[in-house]
Amino acid sequence: MTAATAIRVRGLSKTYKKTEALRGLDFDIPAGQITGFLGPNGAGKTTTFRALMGLTRPEGGDIEVMGLRVPGELNSITKRVGCIIEEPGLIKAHSGRVNLRIAADTLGFGHDRIDELLEFVGLTQDAGRRADEYSKGMRQRLALAAAMLGDPDLLLLDEPLDGLDPAGQHAFRARLRALADEGKTVVVSSHDLTDIEALADYVVVIDLGRLVSQGPLEELLGSGGTHVVVDEGQRSRDALSKAGFESRFEAGGVVVDSVDGSAIVKALAAHGIYPSEVRPSRNSLESVFLGITGEGDV
Amino acid sequence: MSLLHAEYLKVTRRKLFPTMLALLGFLMAFVGVLFYVILPALPESQGGGGLVPQRPGAFIFGAQQVAGQAWWFAVILATAVLGGEMASTVWATSLTRDSRKVGHIGSRFLVFTVASWLAFLAGTAVWAAITWVFAEGSGSPELSEWLGLLWKFILISGAWTSVGLGAVAMTRSIALAMGIALGVSFVDSIVAPFVDLYEQISLTAASNGIFDVGGDGPFSSLIPGGDMSTTQAISVLAGWAAVGLVLTWWGLQRRDA
Repeated sequence: MTAATAIRVRGLSKTYKKTEALRGLDFDIPAGQITGFLGPNGAGKTTTFRALMGLTRPEGGDIEVMGLRVPGELNSITKRVGCIIEEPGLIKAHSGRVNLRIAADTLGFGHDRIDELLEFVGLTQDAGRRADEYSKGMRQRLALAAAMLGDPDLLLLDEPLDGLDPAGQHAFRARLRALADEGKTVVVSSHDLTDIEALADYVVVIDLGRLVSQGPLEELLGSGGTHVVVDEGQRSRDALSKAGFESRFEAGGVVVDSVDGSAIVKALAAHGIYPSEVRPSRNSLESVFLGITGEGDV
Repeated sequence: MSLLHAEYLKVTRRKLFPTMLALLGFLMAFVGVLFYVILPALPESQGGGGLVPQRPGAFIFGAQQVAGQAWWFAVILATAVLGGEMASTVWATSLTRDSRKVGHIGSRFLVFTVASWLAFLAGTAVWAAITWVFAEGSGSPELSEWLGLLWKFILISGAWTSVGLGAVAMTRSIALAMGIALGVSFVDSIVAPFVDLYEQISLTAASNGIFDVGGDGPFSSLIPGGDMSTTQAISVLAGWAAVGLVLTWWGLQRRDA
């Protein structure tokens, strides 16, 4: 395991009664980045997170978190990892501030970071309100603050954006980005590809308890070619074909399977066609995911 | 101290605690009115005319009833709070770690035991008020008898709290843990009067025995533990508390929920 790897998992397997949740899962997660941990419902995301935190005992495989082995060095790992998996465990009858005090006492951390964390998650003004008066987005931000009480190097967040409105998602993503910019490793699981595409630097895709794909988001999305907006679509495609370019109609224009924009413009201009817009056409994460898994329900 | 404070905050603001307290108070008031007002007024053919506790013994009789019947308070509190925490990964991560495990278990045991103890005292206060107003006879127990209730209640609530904690730590399920505790209480109270050997270690019998209800008291023959000495009752209650705490520790060793 290299110093730049925050999590290394090899051959992880877990069976619940007759259901194989994880089937020899392998993946690496780089340190200091935001990693999207993707998979359809039932892919094994939560089981993997629980195994990383030592809450599920796998039948086989090796796990290293921050260079420490699970379960042998869990006591050291717990102090360096903050997590929100499934229910955040807030006490709704208490205020946000008291919830953080209770969490700090229970987890064995001091109270000295509470004000700073309330400010970081944007809850300073609402710190005295009861948690049951919070919106879902505010509760998620409070849970994030609780997960950060020990100033962890690694954050494991299971579906943190689920159920948040667009403004709440934006605010939450901005805070996760700020953490990554500080050098923290953030792992966010989701079944929503749009969430991950807007957030992640690196992506791990699993399905049926196995790794499907992993790599930097940009690399995974690759280039979808060049999107050209022209008035004469069919004549443009003919011109491009004669110049050796493959093309198709898509989204109000023509998408050419090449990233060489100047060559495309030159080929069109040779036939008296001048595009009103030329821009790179990137694959969506959804199309990549569907391509590598064949899944319709993500 | 911080763990104790955290548990205190968790328990005090839960609706569960005042709800159960109100229920216990209502039950004791109802039983008191039933004993002192309704049953004596009924003709014998309809169940009236039975033995009715009289002052001053009626006060301690009621306290014994609270301790013997309100075990569910300690069990529900322990299973609901710890079980709820086990369902939350943040707390479960903390609870299943070796570091501070003794502190986590100890703080919960202490806070839940004291909370149940306060509930027992509140139930006894309701009973005492009803007794004061409606019971026949005169006088009240010696101060030493009232003070004796304090440590007797602590032992009983501690034993049942421990059983609740052990059950939920082993099962990781609030419903299953409550079912097990209910089963223990039911089987315990059924078996104890009929199997002498088991009566010597019965939690129900010890909960009665600690009140020294033996001798020629009117209800002693009906109550398991009537012949148990106070010393033995203390030992049995402490033993159940220890078993429950060991089961709690063992249950939290298991990482697989």
